[in-house]
Amino acid sequence: MNLTYPTTLVLHAIANGSTHGFDVIDATGLASGTVYPILRRLEEESLVSARWENVSVARSEARPPRRYYELTSAGEEVLEKALKKYRLTQAKAGRGRRLRPARSS
Amino acid sequence: MISRVALWLALRVVGAIALVVPAAARADWKREWEAELRHRAQDRTWRSDMSLISRAMGSLPDAAWIRRQFTLDADAVHDAVHGIRMLLKSPGFTAIALIVFAIGIGATTAMLSVADTLFMRALPVPEAERVMTIWQYNRETGATRQDVTPGNAIDWVKRAQSFEAIALAEPTGLTAEIPGREPEYLKSTFVSEQFFKVLRTPMLLGRAFEAEDFQQGVRVAILSYPMWKNRFGGDASIVGQAVRLGRAAPFTIVGVMPSNLELRLFDDRFQRQPEPLVWLPKQGFNDFEINGRRTGFWGVLGRLRPGVTMAEARAEFDALSAQLAYEYPETNKHVAAQVVPLRVHLVGSLSDVLPLLLGAVAILLIVACANVANLLLARGIARGREFAVRQAVGANRGRLIRQMLVESLLLASVGGIAGLALARWTLNVIGRLRPLDVAGVDRIPIDARAAVITCGVIVVAAIIAGLTPSIQLSRPASAAALKQGRGNSRRGVRNVLVIVEVAAALVLAVGAGLLVRSFVLIQRVDPGFSSERVAALQLFSSPRIDTPEKRTAFFSQAIDRMRSLPGVVAAGATSTVPFGEARMTIRTAPAIDGRLPASGEDAQIFTTTVTGDYFRAMGVPLFKGRLFDATDTATSRQVILVSRSAAQKFWPGSDPIGSRVRFRFNQTDYDAEVVGIVGEMRHDALDRPARAELFLPYSQSGFYALTIVVRTAPGSPTNVQALKEQVWALDPLQSIFDATMLDDLVSWTLVGRRFSLFLLVGFALATLLLATAGVYGVMSFSTGQRMREFGVRMALGAERRDIVGLVVRDGLKLAGIGVIVGIALALPLARLLRVLLFGITASDPVTFVWVSLALVLVAAAACYVPARRALSIDPVKALRLD
Repeated sequence: MNLTYPTTLVLHAIANGSTHGFDVIDATGLASGTVYPILRRLEEESLVSARWENVSVARSEARPPRRYYELTSAGEEVLEKALKKYRLTQAKAGRGRRLRPARSS
Repeated sequence: MISRVALWLALRVVGAIALVVPAAARADWKREWEAELRHRAQDRTWRSDMSLISRAMGSLPDAAWIRRQFTLDADAVHDAVHGIRMLLKSPGFTAIALIVFAIGIGATTAMLSVADTLFMRALPVPEAERVMTIWQYNRETGATRQDVTPGNAIDWVKRAQSFEAIALAEPTGLTAEIPGREPEYLKSTFVSEQFFKVLRTPMLLGRAFEAEDFQQGVRVAILSYPMWKNRFGGDASIVGQAVRLGRAAPFTIVGVMPSNLELRLFDDRFQRQPEPLVWLPKQGFNDFEINGRRTGFWGVLGRLRPGVTMAEARAEFDALSAQLAYEYPETNKHVAAQVVPLRVHLVGSLSDVLPLLLGAVAILLIVACANVANLLLARGIARGREFAVRQAVGANRGRLIRQMLVESLLLASVGGIAGLALARWTLNVIGRLRPLDVAGVDRIPIDARAAVITCGVIVVAAIIAGLTPSIQLSRPASAAALKQGRGNSRRGVRNVLVIVEVAAALVLAVGAGLLVRSFVLIQRVDPGFSSERVAALQLFSSPRIDTPEKRTAFFSQAIDRMRSLPGVVAAGATSTVPFGEARMTIRTAPAIDGRLPASGEDAQIFTTTVTGDYFRAMGVPLFKGRLFDATDTATSRQVILVSRSAAQKFWPGSDPIGSRVRFRFNQTDYDAEVVGIVGEMRHDALDRPARAELFLPYSQSGFYALTIVVRTAPGSPTNVQALKEQVWALDPLQSIFDATMLDDLVSWTLVGRRFSLFLLVGFALATLLLATAGVYGVMSFSTGQRMREFGVRMALGAERRDIVGLVVRDGLKLAGIGVIVGIALALPLARLLRVLLFGITASDPVTFVWVSLALVLVAAAACYVPARRALSIDPVKALRLD
């Protein structure tokens, strides 16, 4: 699949514990209209898997269960490659919206 | 802090956008978004109402993306672009695949269009499914779809209850006499008052016949479309005008028939011009018609009452026939009625042949698809790396299969467009070869409907051709093997495809071979006369020649004039020429040597009057006795000749010469002596037996219609126009019903056979070509793969012919299996052709052996080229090949 920079950011955000759609949006600083299609595509290509939250947890918080996302092992491999491509380090990626792609040398 | 209003609004936005999401995924989608929004609304640290709403708006791209996934749009476009790129990368492969698809799809589209036009498209007759043609059927001889005798037709109209209207049609002719133009015979038809009530066809111009047109003496006519177009230049003001169409007073034209109406009201299976040019009202019936039950020449057409089934109508007509057989045992003992739906009637003999031709194109299409599948597989192996890489980066199998199918669909679509042109060409050929008893087959359109058919064929072809390779190539396990470019299972699949192609080609080739052999055999049938260089002019003497003496004089002068033309070796005339455009069947039950005539069909003898050098002009031999001569006059002793078949039938074991025969001809009784035996002639078709015939001299019988036959010497071309002019020199207003060469008349009876022959041979050749290409492709590929092996073998001392033998043997093994499978399939399938065969059985060993041999030889040739290529390599280089 086509590993764009936003895709890499989304993969990275999930790998770093942003497991819900809105959390990923917060972590990456991307628009919701960008993040969700990327999540769908990653899910379709089996790079991430999605599950529904346990109902009892949601009920205790008086809200409907949310859907959360995890990287698959294939997703982890792809993320690794992508990180090399964009030379993203853990530290940099953590800084969210200030990320810029590295100049390729 | 988020306000309740903001949450409510955000939820409404998502609710509305959810409608974009396909229903199957909608509930989950909505649930996810709502959960996120509600979760955020509870988060007290969260920023503002606006950000919640803007985030909710972001669900639109998400919804749109899911929608596209469902309709495959995004990926399909991507696949298509990628596909086009890949196809352009290998133009040779693409060109071959396109040609193969064009042939398969074109032929299939053409035949499906024929089937669609003949069986599915609306006829220009409202509620045509209720319109039936009704014919006579002879239980004794088994002859079907015969014209109806006037007496029976009139009784059917009177007695039948299952039809709301039954119409009668009687063939007639008008002679258009226009000064300065050749007198023209206008084929016309009298129709009864119910005719247009049965048809309900809207007129192109003017009106249909109405009740007052059927009163005696009213002179009105309806023109056919060709008549209106060709003779009156398509002038709409003709309606209402009085026009001279014949010798008598003019007719007022009340209407013009639509152009697309073809009815074939009469049993004119071999007529070239079956549709009438002028329609006239049949004003009452005379006694001769009411009582005429011997000779059938009328057409009957009826419209079923609403709710009455065809089976009920048939049952009623069976009962009616039984009644009539009881009332008129002499004429109707064996006569039954045959109710045939109009559409079935119009399809004619094609209803037998079309399923076979559709089967043949289906086989052709399958072979074309197998061929493309093979090409895709071969190329897929070359593209192994691409697939392996795509799989490695996470493309799933469905995606790869889809990619292959999209490429196959692209090829099929472009090939199909080319195929449409090929279909047009095929339909033109079909139109030119038209079987004469099939209506409308010469104007089958390539239009929107045909395009829809083509699209269907394209999709089917793309799936058949693309599925096997895509499933094969997308196998994850084979990814490693793909890199090596080898794969045994893949070679297995390709071999199976080749075997299928060879087997299919054999089935079609056997079918074509059987038809070719039948055609050769039927053309070798001796019709009993020699038709080369013989012209036949069929004349109905004009009413001006109103006495037998005048007629005799007219015809003998015409014959004399023709005989005196340069190059003419013999000229004569007959009342019934074999294979004539207008068929005359005059029969009588002879009383031989005082015995009473026997009853039944079989006791009848065909009676024909002849004059001049008829037998010499026809090349009919005299076996015994003498021919007629100048001593046989109206006043001399009555004499007859009999055909050899008649002699064998009516005088078994004895000599007919000198025998006395009493019979009736042309409403006159004869008591004549047999003076000679001549050869027997076939009259209707080469595959029907020769007639038992009795000939009497024209000088003693007279007759209103004769066909003049003129034989010219070898090397001198027959000038039919010059012959016609001899007639007009005697009477410039005498119309000539038909003037043709006799061998053309014979050949026209083979049109139906030629039609199925040409098409089946064409399909078989195309299939053979594709199968050959398939064998070549596989052998050439596998030889390429084995170059290194050949290099080793040659380095170890293998001779060149060993290598060639190796390759050819491999190819022949495939071809051999294909041939065996093909024979096993062809043996039962060939039986479907039985009705079309002549002189051979469906399992004709000669055909099977020759076709199989030919196929093996072609396959061997297809292997030889790659084998030669294998030889051309340098063993040292081959060894170094990676």
